[in-house]
Amino acid sequence: MIRLRHGHLDLALHELRDGVGLPLLLLHELGARSDAWRVAEVCWSGPVLGLDFSGHGQSDWPRGGCYQPEYWAGDADAVLAHVGPAALLGAGVGAYVGLLLAGARPQHIAVVGMLPGAGLHGGGPVPQFGRSAYATFVAPVLPRWTSGADPQVAMTEAMIRPPDYVGTFARKAPAIVLVEEASSCPPWWEDVAGGANVIKVGGGIGVVSAAMARIARV
Amino acid sequence: MQARDFDDSPLPGAPSYPGAVEPLRHRWVRSGDLRVHVAEWGRESDPPLVLCHGFWDHARGFATLAPLLADAGYRVCAVDVRGHGDSDWAHTYFWWGWVGDVVRVIESLDREVAVIGHSFGGGVAVDTAVVLPQRVRKVVNIDGFGPPPDDATVAPVPERLENFLDLRRKLTMRPDWKPYPSLADLIARRGAQNPRLSPQWLQYFVFHAARQTEAGWIWKADLQMTGGAGPWKPDFVALSYAALEVPLLAIEGTEDDTWGPMDDAIVAPRLARAPDVTRCRVAGAGHFVHMEKPRETAAAILDFIG
Repeated sequence: MIRLRHGHLDLALHELRDGVGLPLLLLHELGARSDAWRVAEVCWSGPVLGLDFSGHGQSDWPRGGCYQPEYWAGDADAVLAHVGPAALLGAGVGAYVGLLLAGARPQHIAVVGMLPGAGLHGGGPVPQFGRSAYATFVAPVLPRWTSGADPQVAMTEAMIRPPDYVGTFARKAPAIVLVEEASSCPPWWEDVAGGANVIKVGGGIGVVSAAMARIARV
Repeated sequence: MQARDFDDSPLPGAPSYPGAVEPLRHRWVRSGDLRVHVAEWGRESDPPLVLCHGFWDHARGFATLAPLLADAGYRVCAVDVRGHGDSDWAHTYFWWGWVGDVVRVIESLDREVAVIGHSFGGGVAVDTAVVLPQRVRKVVNIDGFGPPPDDATVAPVPERLENFLDLRRKLTMRPDWKPYPSLADLIARRGAQNPRLSPQWLQYFVFHAARQTEAGWIWKADLQMTGGAGPWKPDFVALSYAALEVPLLAIEGTEDDTWGPMDDAIVAPRLARAPDVTRCRVAGAGHFVHMEKPRETAAAILDFIG
């Protein structure tokens, strides 16, 4: 395991599988951790790395308990600063974070793969102000996960993901491989799926990573 | 960094300022796993007012306003929100964390309160009233009606995130402020940013905003609070005012200043969404209305909350 620094935090980067060539960075779903990945199914000849987002697994759980997908994009960007250009494969909130990073740093990301999973939906297109924000952001969050994640990470499920916001990142990303599974996906997922830079596939991590490898010529 | 423990005796070298009164009490309130510092003036049995400072500022910035409110019969509780003043630093920051700190202080009081905030703290005060209307009877916002829709907030979002990520890398490489040889250097920097604040007030205000280390003088506030990213838009400010259930007093100065007052073409439509708003302009003040004109600001607040 490699320890990386992001701001005040230490992050855990796991070297899940050796390889030669472009690294593939796996970004887990909400409340999960890198050792949950089924690495044997990943079709990729380069090194396969897994990041524990802050608040998860063996990465620091931030004091003050504030989480935002954009901070997690900063966590993943700390990996890019360490390994250089990479491909990203995320599930749930990890897919969303991967898309943000691919749109913000398209010159450093060959392709991003997106799988459904926990934390994908977010809190809709417009912020809900009023008394309900107390329960969402201000009240102490009750424990939900026993898998080794800070229960406070659940607040990111209430943070807005407007389709026009997501859409600008999707259009700037160099290439996207996305699982077409409308039943468990938010409305913005379908908007992303309509882009010219998107390949839609059916199936799981093996199919997605194989399509990504063809694009990245790994 | 963890909150500093200190007794109530004045710090060595602490400057004085006409009208500035040392807090009568200091206490700490738990906000999640952080300790939040509260400076208090007035009797504990009096009805409470909760005050929130601007970004990079601190509770002692109310040292001239608070005693005037306390003398009028209020318990004044000025909060250092996380990352500021003598409160703990968080590892990461976002808006509702700061609102949560003020909420925890209100919950520690077990009584109805009025909330008063300046600049960033004015926005925090409004959202505190929005989430806790059963405990907040009135809210006062002192020139905190922003941010305006400027270049930083309307830039295309992937570029904004890229800038944020670049900043995060820079802050990871250099996690704390550069130390300055003397307190006078920090005073000069703050004075250049806010030329309307008098040198004598800056002596007082910056002394409590800074600490001396072996390497020199540095700001107490956490440099890691810098920057932000996400789908937030300036248009959302109006939604916050629309959700208010309690009366709002909006105080502004009349003089052009760094960070304010904002163009009324932006402020007026935002405030118009509040169900019950009173506007007040303090003549001769810039952005730091309560620091420049504490008596006039106190009079407006007391008239509103009385």
